Amino acid sequence: MTSDPQSPSDPDSPSEHAGEVVELSSASRATDIALDELELVYAFIYARVGNRADAEDLTQQVAMKAIPRLRQGAPASAIRGYLFATARSVLGAFWSTRLGLSQVELHEDLAMSIPQGPPSDEQAERTRRILAGLSDNYRRVLELRFLHGYSLKEVAAEMRSTVGAVKVMQLRALRAAAKVDPDA
Amino acid sequence: MPEQPENRIEKIVDDLLHGRRLRLKAGDAEEKEAIIAAARLAAARSGPHRMSPAFRRRLAGILDAIPREPRLTRRAALVAGLGVAAGALAGGVVGKALAPAAAPYPISASSPVLPRNGRWTDVGALADFGEGQARLVKAGAVGAFVFRRGQTVTAVSSMCSHLPCELWWESGSSLLECPCHPASFTADGKPSSPSYTLPALNEVKVRVTAAGRVEVLGT
Repeated sequence: MTSDPQSPSDPDSPSEHAGEVVELSSASRATDIALDELELVYAFIYARVGNRADAEDLTQQVAMKAIPRLRQGAPASAIRGYLFATARSVLGAFWSTRLGLSQVELHEDLAMSIPQGPPSDEQAERTRRILAGLSDNYRRVLELRFLHGYSLKEVAAEMRSTVGAVKVMQLRALRAAAKVDPDA
Repeated sequence: MPEQPENRIEKIVDDLLHGRRLRLKAGDAEEKEAIIAAARLAAARSGPHRMSPAFRRRLAGILDAIPREPRLTRRAALVAGLGVAAGALAGGVVGKALAPAAAPYPISASSPVLPRNGRWTDVGALADFGEGQARLVKAGAVGAFVFRRGQTVTAVSSMCSHLPCELWWESGSSLLECPCHPASFTADGKPSSPSYTLPALNEVKVRVTAAGRVEVLGT
């Protein structure tokens, strides 16, 4: 069924074959390729919503919206870009709907860069830079709570404070974290 | 008595740290920056994330069911993962089964939506509609995309003219896209996809009042 005599698994020199029309031989392989692209989208979305259920719903929305749009002759460079443009649109709608805000009011950082490869430690590095931009107390409460999974009581005990005080500190620390630019 | 913001944020953080969905409610917008920061920190807790095998299987099933072009460029397919099109190809050309016939539809004209006992529904101030952008509004049972050009507005049905799927606005290309098949429409409802010959979207009646309010004829 494959009309191209070369191996369809040769992804190294796509530009040499630009515009050449082929029929792919394996539906399952083809789906796998698309899923690999959506894997990047999933990681991108998860990093912004912080939970699996919402990340799965939004990734599915991206697939539904973007895949049919990808048609013959689409420039290769634009396809991943299109997926991520769709992901940004879906994320913007998610936050604006959940918070009852317009996307203009939201001010969410939706002009995010497109990942160039598989999920990496980039997110961890961004988090490290955000935490490094906070005062000691704010950094400590967020590290214990989010990175080490401490309960409020455990954080209070560790910081020799009260649960009530830790809750207030957590809120203020999150507000401060939102103001840190990890790319500065 | 309103919930203290630190208590509300703690509930959201607790949900995130236990892997639960974001369950937000009215008033949470006040702390939007903190909530978004919490979501990102929660995501960073356990490093890079990959789809679960069960979700990947579910997504594969969905992808295989989506109709699309039967032939692709090698470049597009190999480099960027568009190979899912082969699902439709190898699977009996599902896309052709769902594609509309190449009938000579009147693509430049569409009949307006005129509900029986229709009434004008206020959908917002003209100033709230972005210039050259579409905004999805509801007027009872009528869904419409309203477009503003200067001081005038036009509206088309939000439903695709082929499959009963609600369109979405792609601001980058300034097109209304169908999520169910590869069809798109211009702001005035004309089909833009050369590969699909479709009827134009139905016109929806819309007007601007003297007070600068946009009203749509709905139910």
